Amino acid sequence: MEVLTALSVGIMMAVGVYQILRRNLIRSAIGLMLVANAVNLFVIYCGAYRGDVPAYVDVAGARSDPLPQALVLTAIVIGMGGFAFVLAMIYVFCVRYGTGDMDKVDRLKH
Amino acid sequence: MIVQTWSQHVVALPVAFPLAGCALTALVFRRNRRWQGLTAVAFMALGLISSTLLLGDVLISGEPRVFHLGGWPAPFGIALAGDLLGATMAFMCQIVLLGGVVYGVGCRDKCAQFPTFFPFFLALAAGLTGSMLTTDIFNLFVFAEVVVIAGTVLTAISDDRKGTEAAFKYFYISQFAAMALLVACGTLYAAYGTLNMADLARLIEQTPYHPLLPFAMVLLLVSFMIKSAVMPFHFWQPDFHTAAPTPVHAVLSSVVVKLGIYGFMRMTTLLFIEPEAKALIENTLIVCGCAGVIFGGLGAAGTYDAKRMLAYSTLGQLGFILVAVGWGTPLAMAAAIIFAFNHSLAKAAMLMLAGAVASRAPVKTAAFDRIVGLGRLRPVAGILFLFGGMALAGLPPTNGFISKLAVLQSGVEAGQWLPLAVLAAASIITLVYVARAFQTIWLKPIPEGVEPKPYGDQLLAPFALVAGCLALGLYAQPLVELAILNSQWMLESRQEYIDAVIGTMSEAQDRIQELSP
Repeated sequence: MEVLTALSVGIMMAVGVYQILRRNLIRSAIGLMLVANAVNLFVIYCGAYRGDVPAYVDVAGARSDPLPQALVLTAIVIGMGGFAFVLAMIYVFCVRYGTGDMDKVDRLKH
Repeated sequence: MIVQTWSQHVVALPVAFPLAGCALTALVFRRNRRWQGLTAVAFMALGLISSTLLLGDVLISGEPRVFHLGGWPAPFGIALAGDLLGATMAFMCQIVLLGGVVYGVGCRDKCAQFPTFFPFFLALAAGLTGSMLTTDIFNLFVFAEVVVIAGTVLTAISDDRKGTEAAFKYFYISQFAAMALLVACGTLYAAYGTLNMADLARLIEQTPYHPLLPFAMVLLLVSFMIKSAVMPFHFWQPDFHTAAPTPVHAVLSSVVVKLGIYGFMRMTTLLFIEPEAKALIENTLIVCGCAGVIFGGLGAAGTYDAKRMLAYSTLGQLGFILVAVGWGTPLAMAAAIIFAFNHSLAKAAMLMLAGAVASRAPVKTAAFDRIVGLGRLRPVAGILFLFGGMALAGLPPTNGFISKLAVLQSGVEAGQWLPLAVLAAASIITLVYVARAFQTIWLKPIPEGVEPKPYGDQLLAPFALVAGCLALGLYAQPLVELAILNSQWMLESRQEYIDAVIGTMSEAQDRIQELSP
């Protein structure tokens, strides 16, 4: 199971990084989201294999660790805010530059 | 639940006041810009007063003040700790942040008239101060994200047409920094089961060769390097800082980049004190610092824009601090603190002055060919710029002289001749580009056909900051003593910090007993 989760996080991260490096702005935004979620999964798995039953529930057994879940909840909210902001910036590019191609958003070079 | 005294609550105030001001300016005063500006200045001033109180309290009592949020004791809850280093850094940041808010009130930029400008500025202040005071690495990530998002939004709404593009670039790279920090959090948690820096320091000391530790160390290093634009991760910095509105640029380029410096100091003196790991971090810092000094100096000398020149100059000046942190001797650490403090004041003042001149240009820009001679309209700004430039280049009677002297002397003491030669050469480059900017803006005549605007930004904030530079140059004793105390605290009182935050082990055991039903 550990190998499988490690592989899935790794593949997700790789796909995300590949998408970020594409020229299409929307694809790169999706890539950013994939990377963020791969990191969130990683943090969840950091605590996933300790304990068997949910924390704060009256069930017999070793309780799982609630901290990574709380951390990921915070990280998801921050990631969502950031993603909305990225989409807003992409909208501004579409209006100002009339393109979704990253290479044509290039006024900083001049 | 633990009962906390008033002196403990003071630790939370430097963060709480800007946050409260952020909410008030966003919700209550958003329609009236005058009231909004006044509220922002008032709450930032309250923040500065509380961080001054905190610093004074820590200095007099000689021990850190720790505030446990929500009354949960430290390794389980989040604690804000005002130890000497954190309190000094928070104080330094808030001086410049207050200057930035005051400049924002008198700023003629269109973006400074938006009702969202001051709320975001205060959020940036709260995030920056919080990340200097927190003891929890995940909390550091959250505060750093607040800084990043606020700074990016402020740049995206800039008058500069390139603002959004630069903000986009910065947001992507800083998201990677945030991801690196988050993965480091996860790795450290998987390895040691805690995220509290004091607790981590104690556990890392007990088992220094955990297989996951090198990953966490490198990820932390990369994350802080991106945050403070250290040489191999600097490429976003000149674009982003140039496009930011002047008050934001002044804050970003002087104190926000110190977040990484603070992180490096915590890494080498608190978390990774095991000799091999420490040597690795320190050598990385020295190499990257030297590269940054050369690259930043040459970049600043070769650029076409006054604000961009100062952004490159930040790269170079940060190199000095990094090299001093890398040397790691008591004198070098003190020199790093002195340099960080003085650079914050001087760089913020210089950027505000360049921005004030640029605000008179017919088109809002700081490109040298557009602002030739415009300084003649503002001779006071010229005098201030001259002093600020002397502080940047390290000439007496300004504070820059003291800080460069301290860094070079610590290098001589540490016997590091190669980095010393690089630093000395780079100092001369600083003098060249500052003199060139002064000559272009203030000494050349205004070309025919240029009609400057009749009004521009106000000069109160840069005046106060340059006055601070001169005062600290003529009477450097308090700052030098503060820095020496800081370096003693960092290098010798590590255990006291740990004990103050999480208590001794028996206390922690008692707390676990108390908490479990």
